[in-house]
Amino acid sequence: MEARPTLSIQRSGAKQLSNMGMSGALSSSSPVLPAPLQETYPKLPDSQQLSTIGAAFPLTHTSHSRSVQSTKSSHYAEENSASWNTDSLPSFLDFPVNTFIESSQIESSGCNTVLPSEEFGKWADQLISDDVANWNELLGDTNVTDMEPKMACQVSKPSPNFQAHESQVHQQLPVPSGEIRAIATPTSSANSAPAKPRMRWTPELHEAFVEAVNKLGGSEKATPKGVLKFMKVEGLTIYHVKSHLQKYRTARYRPDSSEGSSEKKLTPIEDMSTLDLKTGIEITEALRLQIEVQKRLHEQLEIQRNLQLRIEEQGRYLQMMFEKQCKPGMDKLKASASASQDPPVPSSDAVPDSPAKTELKASQLDDCHGKTGAEPVNANTRLEETSWELGEKEKAPEQEAPRDFEADESSSQPSKRPRTDE
Amino acid sequence: MKFGKRLKQQMQETLPGWRDKFLSYKELKQLVRQISSSPTQSNGSLGYGKAEKEFVYLLNNEIEKFNAFFMEQEEDFVIRHKELQQRIQRVVDKWGQNGSQASEANYKDEMAKIRKDIVDFHGEMVLLVNYSNVNYTGLAKILKKYDKRTGGLLRLPFIQKVLQQPFFTTDLISKLVKECESTIEAVFPAEDGKKTKEPKQTITVAEEGIFRNTVAALQTMQDIRRGSSTYGHFSLPPLNLPDSDLTQSIQLNSPIPII
Repeated sequence: MEARPTLSIQRSGAKQLSNMGMSGALSSSSPVLPAPLQETYPKLPDSQQLSTIGAAFPLTHTSHSRSVQSTKSSHYAEENSASWNTDSLPSFLDFPVNTFIESSQIESSGCNTVLPSEEFGKWADQLISDDVANWNELLGDTNVTDMEPKMACQVSKPSPNFQAHESQVHQQLPVPSGEIRAIATPTSSANSAPAKPRMRWTPELHEAFVEAVNKLGGSEKATPKGVLKFMKVEGLTIYHVKSHLQKYRTARYRPDSSEGSSEKKLTPIEDMSTLDLKTGIEITEALRLQIEVQKRLHEQLEIQRNLQLRIEEQGRYLQMMFEKQCKPGMDKLKASASASQDPPVPSSDAVPDSPAKTELKASQLDDCHGKTGAEPVNANTRLEETSWELGEKEKAPEQEAPRDFEADESSSQPSKRPRTDE
Repeated sequence: MKFGKRLKQQMQETLPGWRDKFLSYKELKQLVRQISSSPTQSNGSLGYGKAEKEFVYLLNNEIEKFNAFFMEQEEDFVIRHKELQQRIQRVVDKWGQNGSQASEANYKDEMAKIRKDIVDFHGEMVLLVNYSNVNYTGLAKILKKYDKRTGGLLRLPFIQKVLQQPFFTTDLISKLVKECESTIEAVFPAEDGKKTKEPKQTITVAEEGIFRNTVAALQTMQDIRRGSSTYGHFSLPPLNLPDSDLTQSIQLNSPIPII
């Protein structure tokens, strides 16, 4: 997966970048660039998980950007159409995602994250009216070489978008200059300024934040800039800090209002002291029941999630095995996949796992002869046609998967396909 | 449309601010229908029709929507989690463990408030995990439909991508949930005498609120997994709920406040 973003972005080229929606006055010449920026934000500390979706393309949902989007996606599609069956598949998926993410992010106006469009817009305006030097200073330690607040491209610091382990996969966008397209034109409506990089706050990061705030005199006195400087966390931007500070203040001083989203409260318990003991016990019981149900739900959710993960893993593994196994016979098979089976697409990751491959090949060759027109084969026919052309790029199963697979005889998964490696 | 209906139900039952953050399943289904009925599409076609583009576009948007919402909520939870811990600490410090010092009424009062807040907080987090799961399930289903109807090969790579998205990686939230549970157990130790009784009569949960939503979520989950006509290798087995009388004894009424 890590390889993908790079692939996709590289493929996009400057042209697409310029197509990327900038809100307001977008000029196709504006360089949009997460790449250099990302280099300034190298690996982030493991304690922070940053959202992955990379490319900080500020696509907005204005109609303009929508057309831009479709232009882009169609462009992309065209570019890829000829090579749909090749590794453009991942890039197709990735690239639009990167961009779409941006636009959707803008959409989520209710969100108080770093990327709230309105907030960004306001903040952007504010900053623009501030000294540009201020801005430079603020971002000084981020190694940004060139900053043009007026840049039409509004793409804020993208780096935090990347998870630590992916941060190395900096998108090599063709745009060279390391501009922070954070604040583009103030004309941008609320939708425009997406500080795309979304920070995923962990408890550790929050601890550091709280410490910084306390050192700076408390949540009221502390300023985002000060906190940012104090925390000295790479990849953290003032956007992140600002919005987080806002949330923090709300949580401290109005603990009830920060809960949920306009959730109606159940019977208030504040007057508990005036209620008689019996009611108190009833309330306690009710709470106990509530927590039990919640625990149950959580438990089931975890189980379900694990199941889902394993199902996918298994599917991937099976598919890979079938590919290898049925290589010789596949061309002849045109049967359509049975209804209940999903024709898995060969993974488009260009990371073949050679040890696993050879290991499996041996066992599969044996089995291949034994199985004829088996169900699994049917399911993969369509797959095979395309995978054929793909040149058998296969996703390396996690080493764990084969073991899980084999060890999983008694799992609760339904109607497993016949194992081919037994 | 079974899932679609369930999803709708869930959305209705969910917390008000969350309603528009769920998967646009119906829309996606319509697109799939469009694609499969479009004459230009043939199996193995390399071209990409407008509907397909729209489909992928929408999918990506949805994923982004989930991510944004999820991470925002997560951030909130991280903050509130810490605040709750601090709040408890303050009360304990002020009035001693188990209210050994100072006014017992005050202590009880505070603790009662905290208890309710923490239980609700726990519930909200669980609901977020549920949100993540429901949307993932929806995505998996719609992708399966897409592949099936259009002969496309979108499902696997997309799902692989989805599995890595922030909204699906709920480990942090689960961790917070468990921490919450241990805090609750530590601070509000269960009185053994009372624990044995199971609710004999049906409890009616009428008001809107976290509890209602979690019950609804559980029931929906159970329903979705009841088994379907397209049961296959990628389907989840039926839900196995231990203590099923726990949830069966709870009945959801329409959200009209009782009092």
